[in-house]
Amino acid sequence: MKPSLKHFFDSMGTYLARPGGESLEELYTAHPEWRAPSSRVSLYGDFVRGHVRSALEKLFPMLRGAVGAEAWNALVEDYTLTRPARHHEVNHMGEGFPAFVADGVSSRGLPPHAPALARFEWSDFAVFSSQAESPERVERLTPNPTLLVLEQPYRICAYVRAKGAVVVPQAGDELALLWRHPAHLVTYYQEATPHALLVLKMAVEGLSASDVAVATGMPEADILGAVARLSRDGLVLSPDA
Amino acid sequence: MVVTYARRHGLQPLGVGIGLRRSFYEELPRTERALDWVEIIPENFLSLGGRPQRALDACRERWPVLPHGVGLDIGGPDALDVDYVTGLAALVKRVDAPFFSDHLCYSRLGGVYLHDLLPLPFTEAVVEHVVPRVREVVARVGRPFLLENPSYYANMPGGTLSEADFLRHVVEEADCGLLLDVNNVYVNARNHGYDARAFMDALPLERVAQIHLAGHTIYPDVIIDTHGDRVCDDVWSLYRYVLDRTGPVSTLIEWDQDIPSMEAVLDEADLARAALREGAGR
Repeated sequence: MKPSLKHFFDSMGTYLARPGGESLEELYTAHPEWRAPSSRVSLYGDFVRGHVRSALEKLFPMLRGAVGAEAWNALVEDYTLTRPARHHEVNHMGEGFPAFVADGVSSRGLPPHAPALARFEWSDFAVFSSQAESPERVERLTPNPTLLVLEQPYRICAYVRAKGAVVVPQAGDELALLWRHPAHLVTYYQEATPHALLVLKMAVEGLSASDVAVATGMPEADILGAVARLSRDGLVLSPDA
Repeated sequence: MVVTYARRHGLQPLGVGIGLRRSFYEELPRTERALDWVEIIPENFLSLGGRPQRALDACRERWPVLPHGVGLDIGGPDALDVDYVTGLAALVKRVDAPFFSDHLCYSRLGGVYLHDLLPLPFTEAVVEHVVPRVREVVARVGRPFLLENPSYYANMPGGTLSEADFLRHVVEEADCGLLLDVNNVYVNARNHGYDARAFMDALPLERVAQIHLAGHTIYPDVIIDTHGDRVCDDVWSLYRYVLDRTGPVSTLIEWDQDIPSMEAVLDEADLARAALREGAGR
């Protein structure tokens, strides 16, 4: 690459890493003969920064509402400065955001449930877009291959389900299950109830309902009912589906 | 007689297509409206499973699918992203695309994806930089490749070539096709004060194997290529002008912001199809 071209990219890289009045001046200083209107050149800084913001606002709508406009703007601005877009697919830049939020809870005065909520929202997208494909048919009860388990100190599932009717989630340990429904291809989630964990155990270990009934003393009909319900929801894949 | 890029590669005009966008994933594969082909943004299908894949498979059963990338970074300083190009090659083969395309721009610096189509200086140095990268991509993907003329709001520093000469040098020296975005020509002509028809006359039109049509947004001091509106009358007029010189060319209606109903996008596609038919009749 010619030195003049390297100089161009270096100067644009410096500007686009931190678009603003000062960096724009530096950019023009690097190219003293450049006569393009600065209002036009600065559009590119706005665009690049705007792509990070719009991706985060699409991925984390509940977190945005939970932290308030001022804290959200500061989070987005500071996260943008970390240059998070390291993947050609734009939504991937959100992957590091939950950890970034977690690091700033006390220093930014964020609500204590913000990290768990951020992680939940990222997991929702990760499951939705998972490349793990559910087989069309299975030979035996099988866990949904997109299943993701989150252990969190807040009851985030109930909070998300309430769609804004609950101001803050209740504190308390929760094991959240998220998976993509094999037919509807949208993310389903629920708290890990004893029935859900039992059905997952049956799928992982290849246990039959009758074996489980004998081992646990539960009525076999209840076990079969749970398997049927959770198969319909797609948490497990059933050969009968 | 000039042998066109399309003819040399056995590419037939495919008619009019629209983009497979997220809001159309369920509806588009079932439409009974006229549609000749479907465009996909490969970045939306390379690493995302689930609904995008199902929609793509359903469309592929009905129409030709043409990948039009935004992340190749053909003009950037970083080495080509081999994982991306490998994935792109697999996708092109999977959908059996007759050709694929991206933009003559840069979109990555220092390993950071900028997720924008950033303009390059119009210089010989850039031509020298881009040409071997195009050849490498074509060798890796193994299908004909088109570069799109991007919109730009400011001339980048150090330019020594006109925009048309720059485009000509790149596509001729790289021996690739030209994806002529007519809305970009219009937007650039208005933003930089040149004559759109004279600009198109200066392009190597024999290399045009696809045309893009889109809407834009007019602000007091600049027009932005938003792909967020209907195609305006002036762009339709330019489209007819170029068809008179190229003959029928596969044409895409692009609508990526404030996306309306699929029916409204297909209405625009119908207009383009009518213009293609009129052009063929002249």
